[in-house]
Amino acid sequence: MSATDLPPPPDVAGVCLDGTETYVITAAENAALCASTCVAPAGDGTAHPVYYYIATQVAMGKTIAGVCDVCAFNVEDGPMMGSSGAEFFGPLLLDTPYRVRGTILGLVRKRSRKLGVMDVLTYRLSLHDESDAAVLQTENVWVLPRGELA
Amino acid sequence: MSYVVGQALKGFSIESVSAEAMQDWAVFLRDPNPIHLDVAVVKAKGLGDKVINQGPANVAYVINMLHGAIPGGRIGKMESRFVDNVYAGDHLLAGGAITAVAPGRLTCETWLRANGDRLVISGTAEIHL
Repeated sequence: MSATDLPPPPDVAGVCLDGTETYVITAAENAALCASTCVAPAGDGTAHPVYYYIATQVAMGKTIAGVCDVCAFNVEDGPMMGSSGAEFFGPLLLDTPYRVRGTILGLVRKRSRKLGVMDVLTYRLSLHDESDAAVLQTENVWVLPRGELA
Repeated sequence: MSYVVGQALKGFSIESVSAEAMQDWAVFLRDPNPIHLDVAVVKAKGLGDKVINQGPANVAYVINMLHGAIPGGRIGKMESRFVDNVYAGDHLLAGGAITAVAPGRLTCETWLRANGDRLVISGTAEIHL
């Protein structure tokens, strides 16, 4: 559906999401996470692959509330995950410090039959080890409902 | 182990999604969003009458399915589209099917369904053998 009659969303493409702290997946937290999903840890020093999301999200340079703020969206209005993708270049290791680099790719305003006016936020994050090698890259899409523009 | 296009992947099930596990995930994700922790907030927002599971936890169930269905396989890529919410107490089944076979890798479609037939995640995965 056309959104040409709507005011444009904030121009956020290119906003930096680089993290400032390292993130370490501990064996204890990995074990707790695996238990919460009803499986045993791998036992070979690797973490559950879902840490692709957790590590990048926790260690990126802004919280979700902060990212919403950049998009002029109140996190209390209920951002929704649209999709999440990952590409792994190597295993995610326990007890290894990782850093996050990232950027907002875009914010697109749309009309939806189900949700009314919404902004679709896309950002990309990558996780790097101490040698700066990327071990994975992820791209997440969030839907920001804009009820006030309906 | 041999694989063919169209082959169904062995399912992975969660008998009943745990509200207590959502409290653990709030810690893992450093995300205290109350829709995962407080039924009163979920009701006040008109989102239902049970706490809502964190989306990445649902992705973890799909990953567990892939690990169980393709022993020794390593996820090269995966994509998950969030179609609906998972609530405390839901019975979940993750599954999928092989859509392409190439030397050293498989491509699969994946899904997570709640309480029989309600689709909550649809996705794809590339597995390195």
